[in-house]
Amino acid sequence: MISDTELQEMYGWMVTARYYEERLQEEYLEGKQPAFDISAGPIPGELHLAAGQEAAAAGVCSHLRDADTVTAPHRPHHVAIAKGVDLKRMTAEIFGRRTGLCKGKGGHMHLFDSTVNFAGSGIIAEGCPPAVGAALAAEKRGEDNVAVAYLGEGAISQGGFLESLNLASVQNLPVLFVIEDNDWAISMPKERVTDVGNGSQRADGFDMPGKRVDYDDACAVYEAAGEAIGRARDGNGPTLLEVQVHRRMGHFMGDAEGYRPEADSERAKQRDSIERMESTLQKAGIDDDTIDDIRDRSHQRVEDAIEWAKDQPEPDPDEAYNDVFTNPPAGWTPNTKPGQTESAGGDD
Amino acid sequence: MSDETVAVESETIWPADSDDVEEAIVSNWFVREGTTVTEGDPIAEIQIEKVSLDVPAPATGEICELLVDEQGEFERGDTLARISTDQ
Amino acid sequence: MAEADESETTGERETTMSRAMVSAIASEMRDSDDVFVMGEDVADYGGIFDSTDGLLEEFGREKIMDVPISETGFIGAAVGAAQAGMRPIAELMFADFFGVGMDQIYNQMAKNTYMSGSTVNVPMVLMTAVGGTYNDAAQHSQTLYGTFAHLPGMKVVVPSTAADAKGLMHTAIRDDDPVVYMFHKRLMGIGWMPAPDGPKTSVPEDDYTIDFGEADVKREGDDVTVVTLGLHVHRALEAADALAEEVDVEVIDLRTLVPLDTETVLESVRKTGRLVVVDEDYHSFGLSGEIVARATEGALANLSAVRRVTMPDAPIPYARPLEQEVNPGREDIIEAVQSTTE
Repeated sequence: MISDTELQEMYGWMVTARYYEERLQEEYLEGKQPAFDISAGPIPGELHLAAGQEAAAAGVCSHLRDADTVTAPHRPHHVAIAKGVDLKRMTAEIFGRRTGLCKGKGGHMHLFDSTVNFAGSGIIAEGCPPAVGAALAAEKRGEDNVAVAYLGEGAISQGGFLESLNLASVQNLPVLFVIEDNDWAISMPKERVTDVGNGSQRADGFDMPGKRVDYDDACAVYEAAGEAIGRARDGNGPTLLEVQVHRRMGHFMGDAEGYRPEADSERAKQRDSIERMESTLQKAGIDDDTIDDIRDRSHQRVEDAIEWAKDQPEPDPDEAYNDVFTNPPAGWTPNTKPGQTESAGGDD
Repeated sequence: MSDETVAVESETIWPADSDDVEEAIVSNWFVREGTTVTEGDPIAEIQIEKVSLDVPAPATGEICELLVDEQGEFERGDTLARISTDQ
Repeated sequence: MAEADESETTGERETTMSRAMVSAIASEMRDSDDVFVMGEDVADYGGIFDSTDGLLEEFGREKIMDVPISETGFIGAAVGAAQAGMRPIAELMFADFFGVGMDQIYNQMAKNTYMSGSTVNVPMVLMTAVGGTYNDAAQHSQTLYGTFAHLPGMKVVVPSTAADAKGLMHTAIRDDDPVVYMFHKRLMGIGWMPAPDGPKTSVPEDDYTIDFGEADVKREGDDVTVVTLGLHVHRALEAADALAEEVDVEVIDLRTLVPLDTETVLESVRKTGRLVVVDEDYHSFGLSGEIVARATEGALANLSAVRRVTMPDAPIPYARPLEQEVNPGREDIIEAVQSTTE
């Protein structure tokens, strides 16, 4: 049974995440209209927004504590928000600022917040093995922490994922793999990526429990994830969970989605996990004022984070050469400029 | 000897599904002033929001004037170039 | 030569690097049923960087195959199909993703000819997008020229103009060995990633090949030799133009790394005595060191100064001021050229 507090917390994460993506979209497009130049504007580079995937983040992360590890793929914001990543510093990172989570070095695909054990990777399925490793560390230390690896349905044929399933299973490690099935691997519809309609069936080959939540209902995700995470904490091994979500904003900003039928985009917009969550809250007897208040405070939190981030200093160019090593070897240099390295010209 | 020029009009190539958009950019010119073209040759690529499309030469002749810079913005209805059809 | 090229092109239509690549692929596919394309988002999307744009419409899904995200699987399948006599073109969406399928690239594709004593061959093209300048950070911005060129058994080509892109693609597809075809995203002429002046050129309508191992002297000069490739050919030409009043710079576009046209580099440095290598790959243990080594081995007595302008030995950062700092720009090249004449 989900408590009212948990319901409100999940709803708060979801509306924060949705509004965050809407606001980032606006900020991202600044300086990119009418000419869409990917390197222009306050947020350059690729931007993969997760609007429509909030339920998969909220329903799982509701069971997690700071000591539990989460790895997220290239579309990470909603998961980061639910995991408790510092929103201001995350936003500063996305704006490429010095006070960002990663000092402006990582950007939106590579967010790291070690205070809540959150890590990102932009390479498909490659966050899975490190999640297995976090679980291995917990097990070796006798802690009951768990690890959660997020991936898209397009990643379920990748070796990094399949090898991780096997390793977690054979070692009986406390890992939850969460497939966010948004139906599209960039331009590839799911039916052309795999002959298995239900991605959680991948679990069968590894003798691991597999479950699919067919609709993006955060409460159904909560129930399924609770069972899996409880099993993991009790030393009973990994689980594979697939959640049907929706991609509302293209693969990345700038994706014209010419390959996607209009009806599919429309369907994604109509199946709104946030509206569903609002009606769940209402059914649970939470009054409209409380719901409005959560939404307003969430929106304000996003506005505050963006305002703060945009006010932060850009990194000094020379900072590019720091952080290559934790412990730079004596005499090592990153060879920044001609002449800094051992000169072959001999006239330095 | 005639002194005919044909305008390359953005209006004639504007796609129906971009009816709600009023500006675009020339992302690539495939010709310079002085280039000879045959009717139907792609002479430019334009980008309307996220959609790219080619602009075919409306006539055979020589490009005598490019009226929008590469990466330059234009409004729907603007003339993009002129082709001299002098024989 | 740059000026001569320009006057030659007046009067002809020009095209982008991506369209030139596509036209070569299409032409080879019309000529041979053995040629087909496999990759992520190569069909309906037309390649994230337009490298296969329009091919699906002409050739259909049998020939332009979208594959699941599984680089080990589909690059390895290309190896097997090539060994069975086909001529597949496999696209690795970003060169940075090579790690996911690297065994198939360097232990299978690159070595099977040798290990089999030439009883099998692997006539495939692995084409891949390289390079930064658009703030995509450490996992999507590398060139990795040196990594691929280092491993024996693969030919490696890096076009910098549309005309070269077409000729090199024809040669790559017809070659009986595996060819890694590395195209720089910033040169493709994509609307959302504007190219500098230079890569868009006129391109002959008819098919033509460009032999591997022939560097192109893009600009002749007597004082300093700049050896470079890819995007930085155009940055070096800009730098050379800016320096024209004070230093006469020769700019060499390597075009292919394996084989490498050492002779053109040596001829140039024997004339100028000064070498600047400009490379968007990491500094150490790579392309720039190789060029310097060959120059010193072949023309040590002629050399009075050598400089390398490269990415540092650090992963590529995200934020704009950080990436601009590390990716060699026109000013960095100017400074390095000037420092050789001081």
